[in-house]
Amino acid sequence: MHSKASLSLAVLIMLASGYGIVTAWSWPWKAALFPLVIGIPVFCLAAAEALWTLFGANTPAGQASDFQLSRHLPEKEMMRRTALAIGWMLGFFAAIVLLGFPIALPLFVFLYLKLQGRESWTLSIVFTLVAWGIFYGLFDRLLHLPFPAGWLVAWLGLA
Amino acid sequence: MIDALFEGLFLVLQWKALAFMLLGIGLGFWVGLLPGLGGATTLALMLPFIYTMQPVEAFAFLLGMHAVVATTGDITSVLFGVPGEGTSAATILDGHAMAKKGEAGRALGAALASSLVGAIVGAFALALAIPVVRPLVLSFGSPELFMLAIVGIAFIASLSAQGVRGMLRGFLAGGLGLFLATVGQDPQAGVARYTLGTLYLWQGLELIPVLVGIFAIPEIIDLVVRGTSIAGTRPSGRISKGAFEGVKDTFRHFGLTIRCSLIGTFIGIMPGMGGAVAQWMAYGHATQSARNAEERKGFGAGDVRGVLGPGAANNSKEGGSLIPTIAFGVPGSTAMAILLGAFFLLGMVPGPDMLSKHLPVTFSMVWTIVLANVITVLACFMFLNRLASLTTVRGQLLIPVILMLVFIGSYTSNNHYGDIVVTLLFGGVGYLMVLGGWPRAPFVLGLVLGKIAENYLYISVARYEAAWLTRPVVLVLIALAIAVILYPLFQSRRRAAHA
Repeated sequence: MHSKASLSLAVLIMLASGYGIVTAWSWPWKAALFPLVIGIPVFCLAAAEALWTLFGANTPAGQASDFQLSRHLPEKEMMRRTALAIGWMLGFFAAIVLLGFPIALPLFVFLYLKLQGRESWTLSIVFTLVAWGIFYGLFDRLLHLPFPAGWLVAWLGLA
Repeated sequence: MIDALFEGLFLVLQWKALAFMLLGIGLGFWVGLLPGLGGATTLALMLPFIYTMQPVEAFAFLLGMHAVVATTGDITSVLFGVPGEGTSAATILDGHAMAKKGEAGRALGAALASSLVGAIVGAFALALAIPVVRPLVLSFGSPELFMLAIVGIAFIASLSAQGVRGMLRGFLAGGLGLFLATVGQDPQAGVARYTLGTLYLWQGLELIPVLVGIFAIPEIIDLVVRGTSIAGTRPSGRISKGAFEGVKDTFRHFGLTIRCSLIGTFIGIMPGMGGAVAQWMAYGHATQSARNAEERKGFGAGDVRGVLGPGAANNSKEGGSLIPTIAFGVPGSTAMAILLGAFFLLGMVPGPDMLSKHLPVTFSMVWTIVLANVITVLACFMFLNRLASLTTVRGQLLIPVILMLVFIGSYTSNNHYGDIVVTLLFGGVGYLMVLGGWPRAPFVLGLVLGKIAENYLYISVARYEAAWLTRPVVLVLIALAIAVILYPLFQSRRRAAHA
């Protein structure tokens, strides 16, 4: 898992920096100087990391001073739960775009508590109302942040 | 001078100034806690309210608010792994790891106590350094400032992971950050770089959505995977009783706290560097304090020194960044640029007058920073244990709330759905980095420094061509960067030879 993630990152960086270098070549030097000065070494380093991951399997990778993911579950279960977490996040984002924050937010909180958390009806409803109250009171009424209606709501003429 | 020092204190303690300062502290407290809502934005929002205030009242209000934002931003970082402020992201690495180990109280105690020490050091630096720092700031041109940025990245890249492989990944992460900072309209030729045909990317990648994504999303995924509270199955009694232990940690590692405070002050003085840089430089220095490879492994897994360093630097940089703002009218950060606007709104001109005619007002700012932090830290300690208990709340209750804050926090950067897309994309990058064992700190420092570094490099090349590389301070900084890279390699080789 470690090496697959590392290889994916290295390849992604190679593609991004490669595209960056090729594109920058046609710009005036003022605009191209920094992307080239940085992009070329980044491409080389990413290639070195990719090659190291592919052919240097016996070399232990250095431990980063960063947080480590929990590894107490079987890999299959971890993958399932990770996919579930990503699904909830993407679903929340889709709901925000389609319905807007004021509707998507309580809907997400309620559905998450009921379906994922398997909480009781009372707790789910009360918690959702409190979350919506904080959103409406703090961000909408007090801070006057603009939250537009969702695309679907606007399309239906309900905004 | 002593008279002006005490006059400054009395000015702040007048009831009106004190009331405005408390109001500012209250606002700053909540702004710091909420992810995405930045201290600089709030300063700008509050600027219109100072028209009718006296200078001392206005600065007590604005600085009182700004001085505590970084302090309370650490609370969100420690408890939920979501950066309350762009300037408190480094606290996540060890602070949140401590919270997950059931040491949230200790981490919060350490973050708050080190913040207080940092704020006091920064304020003293402000009081003492103005005559000393003037020649230093004026001697640093664009080539030196560019090299300072490179040294910073070399510093964090070489220290945030172990071994040659770890260093390679550190430099790759730092380079990627620098490279992504070039997205957006180029300031010199006006070319739209890597905007993928969208208007949203013309102004570049906004820091908050990137930071929130890269730090919060992997933590949220991990919380869902674990299916427990942040502190896991640890007994709640221990979690909420460590606040005083955190305070003791600050004094146990007092030398480190002071050194990181001085790093923060120095970075604050340098125009354009800002708090987002100071915290990572301090984190890099904190990891350097590890005596051996075994101790180094503890960083990122909940070493209290990783909380003390950024906590101290975050708050000390305020005093530091006020020095060029007050003395030369050169703002050290975005927030200070806004504060500079306050000077003009109040009819005051930064410069020599602030060190002679208006010296008591200058000292009132010093006192405001100190008092605001003392009040905030005392207020926090009153309910710190309750805050720490939040880490025992079931994950399924916390996740929707954290996600709500993450999405609203990133969306409010530009009020654009693109902000959330950026958060999700960089959440994916952050997750892969954590999964692959890559350090995230160099990436963030690269992204923060990218625009500044590009600007300084362009000016250096345009003004001096290749000759900028031969300037004495540049040569010293190049040697320092090489030493920073080679030292860990030399150290590990020596250890291998001894073994």
